[in-house]
Amino acid sequence: MHHAHIDKFAYQDSPVHRLDSRVKFIAAIVFTAVVISLPRTSFSILACYAVGPFAVLVLAKIPLRFAIKHILMISPFVLVLALTCPLYDKTPVTVAFGPFLWHSSLGWQRCFVILGKFIVTMLALIALVSTTRFNYLLAGLQRLGLPKVLTIQLGFLYRYIFVLIDRAHHILRARQGRKLKNLGLAAELKTAAAMLGSLFIRSLDTAERINIAMQARGFDRNWRSISKLQIRRPDLFFILAAVSFLLGLHLFVKPFLQ
Amino acid sequence: MHMANELLSVPVAAGALVVAAGSLGVICRKLRQVISSDKLALMGILGAFVFAAQMVNFRLPAMPGTSGHMVGAVLLAIILGPHAGAVAIASVVIIQCLIFQDGGLLALGCNIINMAIVPSYLGYFLYKTATTGPFSSLRAYIGATLACIVGLEAGAVLVPIQAGLSGVLLVPFSTFLITMLGVHFLVGLIEGLITVAVLGYLQQVRPDIVMGSLPGRVRLSRKAMLATLIVFTVAIGAGLSLLASGMPDGLEWSYAERPDQPEFESAVANEDPRVVVVEDFQSKYSPLPDYSIRTSRLGEAPEPEVEAAAGWTSFAGVVGSAFTMAFIWLAAWILRKKRPSKA
Repeated sequence: MHHAHIDKFAYQDSPVHRLDSRVKFIAAIVFTAVVISLPRTSFSILACYAVGPFAVLVLAKIPLRFAIKHILMISPFVLVLALTCPLYDKTPVTVAFGPFLWHSSLGWQRCFVILGKFIVTMLALIALVSTTRFNYLLAGLQRLGLPKVLTIQLGFLYRYIFVLIDRAHHILRARQGRKLKNLGLAAELKTAAAMLGSLFIRSLDTAERINIAMQARGFDRNWRSISKLQIRRPDLFFILAAVSFLLGLHLFVKPFLQ
Repeated sequence: MHMANELLSVPVAAGALVVAAGSLGVICRKLRQVISSDKLALMGILGAFVFAAQMVNFRLPAMPGTSGHMVGAVLLAIILGPHAGAVAIASVVIIQCLIFQDGGLLALGCNIINMAIVPSYLGYFLYKTATTGPFSSLRAYIGATLACIVGLEAGAVLVPIQAGLSGVLLVPFSTFLITMLGVHFLVGLIEGLITVAVLGYLQQVRPDIVMGSLPGRVRLSRKAMLATLIVFTVAIGAGLSLLASGMPDGLEWSYAERPDQPEFESAVANEDPRVVVVEDFQSKYSPLPDYSIRTSRLGEAPEPEVEAAAGWTSFAGVVGSAFTMAFIWLAAWILRKKRPSKA
């Protein structure tokens, strides 16, 4: 199977990859919250905040083209909602940006701030996911208090998503090979139902076999992972850097960039 | 349907996260009591099935170009029971957020509530209510369709409420609500049709699954479910009336002053305790109050020096950030170039 694995860079090695997953997760959440609570009218400050995840991405040797492509792929919903802003708020505003000065409306400004926040928070999320193996992230989340049932559920889900997506692709290809024209709603629905139903039954059978294998190996409802969670000196350094970055921007840069 | 970070304010997102985490905790505890360890694999695989099922689209003849996808919350709730279904779909939403970056990290709470918890429980309850008594396929089909539509709509209603409470979007609340309801009625109808078709197929091939002998199924106490439903409805109704009563531009615009219209009168008296609480909360949690562009009011000539100065600082900010990024990238590039030559 060959998927464009979305976390394919998580298996590289770099100083960022070696950090404790809990530290990275909490840093991503705090960063997102800070960016979301920025004022809704100032665009330029977002550029300053973007430096943080950008530095992490570069340090972790994640190709920037991958990050940008990914952000473009997931943007449509936010794009539609952001583009409604100019329709509803046409208050004229003069925007001065360095040597340039142009007239626009408050709605456009909001639209761009929403998009800017989207890009910056997504950069942070991509930086988290593509530098942390999912197993480690799960282990960290469990240590942070995620219920055990949910941890196991997430582990299984992650393990089998790609297997089942592969199967779905096989079924889809078979349909493509046999169906030469659009069949009309009833027939299309019937085909789709049969495809989904057979996929469902195959999934049930797989689950049964996995369960038997797990029982044979003595599964006792515990999710074990070989990842060692340990806060070491690099983690402390990362925390220090992240805190000073956020505090520095909040105290020294933000007052000027309104 | 995936809520994005940018459409929420921090208090709303945090509140939703707390509610979602709390209810997931309770559900997981319940689930541990009713489910035996050999069903854990089943739940995981069925969660993955929902993912794979979203790949299977089918052409809708009326609207060329659009295609139907199924979401699957109701199907899983019908087959696995509401607790397991809710946990399975919640894990799907979490993976969608973490691995596929669909919906943001802060919006995770809202997404879990809207897409996992509400449709699962509501859908299961409706399906069960429709299929009481001896099993008949017609009743099961009607129940499943109804469950899909109502479950999805209930989740869809919550999206504009959360966005409206956050006050980020400028779309009038009612417009957003009607759009969401309309779109999700269609989506729910299609999903209901597919769910019914899949149930029909399963009944032909593996009738044991549909008849409810699949393990992991739990009985919900009808009274408890009704009580929750009533509380939920009242809460939504209260939220709706709070939002809809004379606040066409989202909640915040009506009680905050409008920077663009200085003569704007607040629609809600500021003494209202709810409003005061919300306002306090919001001002406490947003590091800086909103609407900082006050130099350029409607109909008032902007002062040129202030404008220009502000323009230059923001220019400096953007250019400085760009230079910093370029510097970081260059430094990393040079370091990386050097390393192989040394080795």
